[in-house]
Amino acid sequence: MSLRISKPGKHALVVETPVMNAAGVLGFGDSYRDLFDFSAMGAFVTNPITYGPWSPASGTRVIPLPSGVLVHTGLPNPGVSKVLGAYRDLWKRLPVPVIAHVVAHSPEDMSMAIRMLEREESVAAIELGLADDISTAEVEWYVRAAVGRGEKPILARLFHGASADHARAAIEAGAGGVVAFAPPRGTARDGRGRLTAGRLYGPMVKPMTLRLVGQLARRLPGVAIIASGGVHSEQDARDYIEAGAAAVQVDAAIWSMPRIVEHIGKDLGGLSLTRPVGMDDEMFALFMNKSSDDPEAES
Amino acid sequence: MNETQAIIERVRRVNETHQRLALAVEPGILQIKPGQSLLARLTATWDPYLREHWHPVGVDKNLLLVERPGSLRYTPGAVVSLIGPVGSPFRFRKTLRSVLLIAYDIDPSPLLMTLPALIANTISVTLVLLGTAAAYGTEHLPPEVEVLRGENGTLNWQNRVTTVGWADQVFVTVSPDDEADHLLSLWKMFGDLRADIPPNYLFAVHNTVLPCGVGGCGACTLKIHGGTALVCVDGPAFDMTKMVLT
Repeated sequence: MSLRISKPGKHALVVETPVMNAAGVLGFGDSYRDLFDFSAMGAFVTNPITYGPWSPASGTRVIPLPSGVLVHTGLPNPGVSKVLGAYRDLWKRLPVPVIAHVVAHSPEDMSMAIRMLEREESVAAIELGLADDISTAEVEWYVRAAVGRGEKPILARLFHGASADHARAAIEAGAGGVVAFAPPRGTARDGRGRLTAGRLYGPMVKPMTLRLVGQLARRLPGVAIIASGGVHSEQDARDYIEAGAAAVQVDAAIWSMPRIVEHIGKDLGGLSLTRPVGMDDEMFALFMNKSSDDPEAES
Repeated sequence: MNETQAIIERVRRVNETHQRLALAVEPGILQIKPGQSLLARLTATWDPYLREHWHPVGVDKNLLLVERPGSLRYTPGAVVSLIGPVGSPFRFRKTLRSVLLIAYDIDPSPLLMTLPALIANTISVTLVLLGTAAAYGTEHLPPEVEVLRGENGTLNWQNRVTTVGWADQVFVTVSPDDEADHLLSLWKMFGDLRADIPPNYLFAVHNTVLPCGVGGCGACTLKIHGGTALVCVDGPAFDMTKMVLT
């Protein structure tokens, strides 16, 4: 079962195993290599990269929650130029394609960061980390700013709860697929009782995200959807595939159980062996979508 | 950095607030150095979600000792998944004669792994317990360690000027909830007590919550002069003259 992320008439990225990490989980590729086999993934997604350097957030960064965690890092990174200087050789040696996750405050910054990444052999594709609560028109601006810069396939990571219109805007602007979704936002009290906002991780994210991914897949048939949110087991990953996703991203589960990626990779790799004999990718996708009809009518 | 398994061989209460676990670990983990720590996972469920941050405090007959709050329950025979060693060892001066260890509003466990080696090398050790740390019972610590406690929740302690003046190096650990404020208070106090604070003298030992512990998540990124550093990789100890204290 492979995923093809393409750009019409230009380059395509084929992800052999439909499992990858989510941005912000595995660093820039130098951590975790002793803790699990990167080749179990179909691709490696970098931590967020910005055009210039971004500083870490001030205040509380991590609040443990019952069966989850709230994290607010500020997306610290030294900027695209220094990231490439430090990691391009490593990325060339990784056993899987590298997807650079790019974040920006403006389409101009996005465009400049992508111009530098486009020149990099070690980068196979680019994932745009789109900001929360942006309009469909803004989605289109950002994606067009990225697509117009070169030939690498572009993925658009949508904010949690983004609509099918947002996804459609990204695809129509030239994205090869959408990542659904960024972790949801939440607020919790830290050890001193101060309210702190951040992104939520944990198994409870999956049911919310699974529903949204299912809706997206039904409304946008044929669009490559990479589901991201609360994958903590092989069954979680299978649920997303059954809901219509072409691949999954694993996030904070890796922090506690690094080898979970290997287990999911092996499990979903095996999914291709269990498809009916003679069924090609297109028929298999239809078969998978049909088998999920319609577990939950929209309410 | 590896993920390995350990077995809890013994659990022993050491004072009113803390217990020590004796762990059978793989030989490589016994080489862990003062300053380095482990991330432990005891359960097959996702609660707690993050791994527990365990601070080794010594080695006893091929068993690794870690100190944990007495309020948590551990069972002998339990199998633990460990990721580690996390972080870099403390960097002691070669000409070290006297070390001052300070715990402020947190138990001193992150500093205790230093004791066996320092005492074996006849280096004098003073442990100062400030704020809520003053309630930490020290009967189980080696008798060579001089223990001083803060006065009425303040940053004062007996012979403060002398202990600060004699110390060749100082390692301070503070509550993660008030890390920035506490470190700034201590920095100002040392500034008042000394003519200058030279490099390689005063170190902050961070107790930040570590989601990943290997430099993947970036949640423990610190601003230092000239860039950033990761507590879980470059720390936990940072020379305070190189830190951006806000």
